[in-house]
Amino acid sequence: MKLLLNLVRKDFNRNRVITTALAVFLILSALLMAGGLRVAGTMKSSLDGLNELAVPPDYLQMHKGTYDQKVFDDFVETHDYIADSLIVEMLNINNANIIYQGETLEKSLMDNGFIVQNEGFDFLLNMDNEIAIVQEGEIGVPVYYTEVLGIQIGDVITLRISGYSKTLTVSTIIRDAQMNAALASSKRFLISQADHDELSGQMGEWEYSFQFLLKDDTATAVLQKDYLEASLPSNGVAITGSLITMLNGLSYGLTAFIIIAISFLLILIAFLCLSYIIRATLAEENHSIGEMKAIGFPGKAIEQIYQIKYVILVFIAVIIGYLAAIPFGNFFSSSVIRYCGPGSSEWMKWVFPLFGLILLSLLVVFGCRKIIRRNLKSTVVELMRGEERIKKEGHYALPSAGLKHRNLTIAIGELKCKWKEYTVIFLVFVFSSFLILLPMNMKNTVEHPSFITYMGVAECDIRIDMQYSESLAEQKDAVIAYLENDSEIDKYAIYRNGYVQFHHGDGEYEYIRVESGDASAFPLQYLEGSAPDDNQDMALSYLYASELGKKIGDSLTVNYQGAEHLYTLSGIYQDVTYGGKTAKAAIDFDESDVEAYIIYLNVSDGVTVEEKTDDLRGILTESKITPISEFVSQTLGGITDNMSLVEGAAIAISLFLIVLITVMILQLITAREHSAIAIKKAIGFSTRDIRLQFGIRIIIIQFLAIAVGTLLANYLGEAIFGLMLSSMGASKITMLVEPLRAYLFWPTVQLIVVFATVFIGTRVVKSYHIRDQIIE
Amino acid sequence: MIKVDQVSKSFNSTRVLNDISFEINRGDFVAIMGPSGSGKSTLLYSISGMDSISGGRVMFDGINISAMEENELSGFRLTKMGFVFQNAQMLKNLTVLDNIKLPGLVAKKELADTISNRALELMRRMEIEGIEERDIREVSGGQLQRASICRAMINNPDILFLDEPTGALNSGATDQVLAILEDLNRDGMTIMTVTHDQRVAAKARTVIYIIDGEIAASMELSSDSDREKELDLWLKKLQ
Repeated sequence: MKLLLNLVRKDFNRNRVITTALAVFLILSALLMAGGLRVAGTMKSSLDGLNELAVPPDYLQMHKGTYDQKVFDDFVETHDYIADSLIVEMLNINNANIIYQGETLEKSLMDNGFIVQNEGFDFLLNMDNEIAIVQEGEIGVPVYYTEVLGIQIGDVITLRISGYSKTLTVSTIIRDAQMNAALASSKRFLISQADHDELSGQMGEWEYSFQFLLKDDTATAVLQKDYLEASLPSNGVAITGSLITMLNGLSYGLTAFIIIAISFLLILIAFLCLSYIIRATLAEENHSIGEMKAIGFPGKAIEQIYQIKYVILVFIAVIIGYLAAIPFGNFFSSSVIRYCGPGSSEWMKWVFPLFGLILLSLLVVFGCRKIIRRNLKSTVVELMRGEERIKKEGHYALPSAGLKHRNLTIAIGELKCKWKEYTVIFLVFVFSSFLILLPMNMKNTVEHPSFITYMGVAECDIRIDMQYSESLAEQKDAVIAYLENDSEIDKYAIYRNGYVQFHHGDGEYEYIRVESGDASAFPLQYLEGSAPDDNQDMALSYLYASELGKKIGDSLTVNYQGAEHLYTLSGIYQDVTYGGKTAKAAIDFDESDVEAYIIYLNVSDGVTVEEKTDDLRGILTESKITPISEFVSQTLGGITDNMSLVEGAAIAISLFLIVLITVMILQLITAREHSAIAIKKAIGFSTRDIRLQFGIRIIIIQFLAIAVGTLLANYLGEAIFGLMLSSMGASKITMLVEPLRAYLFWPTVQLIVVFATVFIGTRVVKSYHIRDQIIE
Repeated sequence: MIKVDQVSKSFNSTRVLNDISFEINRGDFVAIMGPSGSGKSTLLYSISGMDSISGGRVMFDGINISAMEENELSGFRLTKMGFVFQNAQMLKNLTVLDNIKLPGLVAKKELADTISNRALELMRRMEIEGIEERDIREVSGGQLQRASICRAMINNPDILFLDEPTGALNSGATDQVLAILEDLNRDGMTIMTVTHDQRVAAKARTVIYIIDGEIAASMELSSDSDREKELDLWLKKLQ
């Protein structure tokens, strides 16, 4: 063993630059792998822990208006798959009536409801993940507001309406398994029963949440169907447990997914470099290996000599990576911990990275062994003559017209012969370029105004929601009358939402929410096909089309008011609202069947969305007015902030990687080509010429790699991003690229970085003395 | 043509060449001999500018080449000097003919066709026609060494430097290379070679014998006597 370690030490001294670069690659891979898995472990533990303690419902139906308690109780009693049920009374208070530090919450797009602590399930937890308790005069504030408004324990919140004012002191910060995420459009405050009773007499509007816990293996669709058929209160949105999971996953998981994706790329890069370096260094050692074989050294012993170095390197990298992943992972997990707590399975954040690193170590060690064994298979004579290496290179022809651009011609010619040597650097450049572009494109996509269309919202300036009101039709008519006469509105379109029955092939049917209106006015991004064109067309959400197994052109049978209607599937779009299962068709809903009216509008040129929003809020007080860009920044702001951090890290890592790989490859190639360098110098090539030739070869490789990396980031990246989102509920997405940054700025930066590295890295050529190399 | 003026060369603290001075005139054929490690190859590389010197200077047609910048020196080597090494050193990714043409094409003094024709003419003269398009690993050592001489001659240099040109060749190939060198010198080419081989040195007009980095002796070989015998006697006296 001592002898082996001695050999490793000597080898390190001889190949200091290459070994250090390799170690950095492995450490980075291990760090990102462990870091990503630590974030994933923390996230799983946090979400599991929160769900375990808060016990969110499997299905809930919001309702505004009256209801019959007995009908509800009878429904629960007669459906034995319901494990538990609850009616939550939520007092919705207008944001204009909620005052914090002298300002109302009007700018917030969240709907704010005030409830008392539930019994049985759906608990609001405090920051210790215990069931929160508030006394009279106290209030529990959603954790979201601690981040957005900086509300802290001890602060005061005032609820005020003409002539009445109620002051509540913040006594606890609330974690809410249902509505924690910024993506959830409502937030719940916790108050005491006494304050709840007092407030309801003065202000606010009741909204009820009928909540259900289901017995194992019961699909929420079964409950949803029975619920609607029983004509239970449904004047509001229905939410499934899977939608809550999706919102939470999208909020906290996206960053972890990106880090893990980057780590996989890095592992691939590290492995490529490792295999290249092993092959390159073993090729240099062929003579020594041949000698060892000749004097009868057992193959296993030779294998050990050459493997030990890599085993030590991996061991060091894994330890450093694991330790460094602790602060790294904690940094990226801080958001999920703040919102969900550390969780009940904290071991996950220690064990997940450990498994990942064991896998990484095995991959590297067995990979090394395979390469070394393949090399050892050569005969003594082959090894000592270096025949294997000689066999591989061909030759190129000089142009018969002469050498107009001698360095370019020679560099390209040599690249043609030695392309195999450049495969690794090419792939690393491809992956680096991919690594820079993927998070950038992802962030750009999420930040892009049209991303909101993946959440079922059309791209527009302002959205007006009218729903769950006793006088919906009148409200709609009033809004239309106003919009018709407002010259500051460029265009608007109204959409009616209602439920119809969809027939499944097996005779079963289910209720699906259908939107009816002019689909061409504010079009969504269609994944396939197009929006419904006439009365015979229908478009389905991706998830629902997939579930039904329908393709464009297929027929769909729908039941509305007892009559069957036949439609043709014209298009498939992405939607994550209403459990991702929605449809669009020109269905002539009765006024009484309309669940909601949604108006999308664009303001005229010169009118600011902000001012128009304030105007509309002042006039259309019954409706919910949402400026879309504000909605995007408030709901996705947290995600994009995290993605910006990841994007920055990915750029820094990629640039660092391309510097490292360029230095490493130059070291190996200049050493391997020392004889060619000497010959070139001897026949009159200057050092500058030779450096230029190396530079041209690497820049050509990089240029091609950037092109491939960019294409990959666009196409494969889209698939990866779609995969990530699909695990969270959304299923398909079109990557939106910012061309100036993606196609010009960052490729140029990469080229400059490599050019500078080549400039510095090839200075070694100057110190090569012809005499030394010829005599060698 | 070349004036070597008190040239010395040290590696770390070891002095390999010690104040060496001599001159090479146009048309000369100079052979450097000496025991292994005496500094004869170092002297060749120092004079040709392929290696730096620690002291003294090397004047080439009145120009101090030891004071030249690396890039300037490479241009000088390209057009004024030709080199042949012990193991025919050629670029592996070019055919034999392209290896020979390369310095000519890089120098750009003449049209590509002229360079091509000269390369073929040189190959014919060296009796290696027919291997033009071959890979350098597909030809014999003797053929490759003659191709190296062709390459060294492609730009019509003022001087040809050779380092043990027959060191890796068998007897037949050695004879061929020697005949060529003799022929080239007869046509006016200045040649300086380092060699262990008395047969090579016997072709020279001047033989310089080096021991421990200093010129121990030098001699002019007479033109018509048995030069090999004359050289042998001289070397025996030195030992």
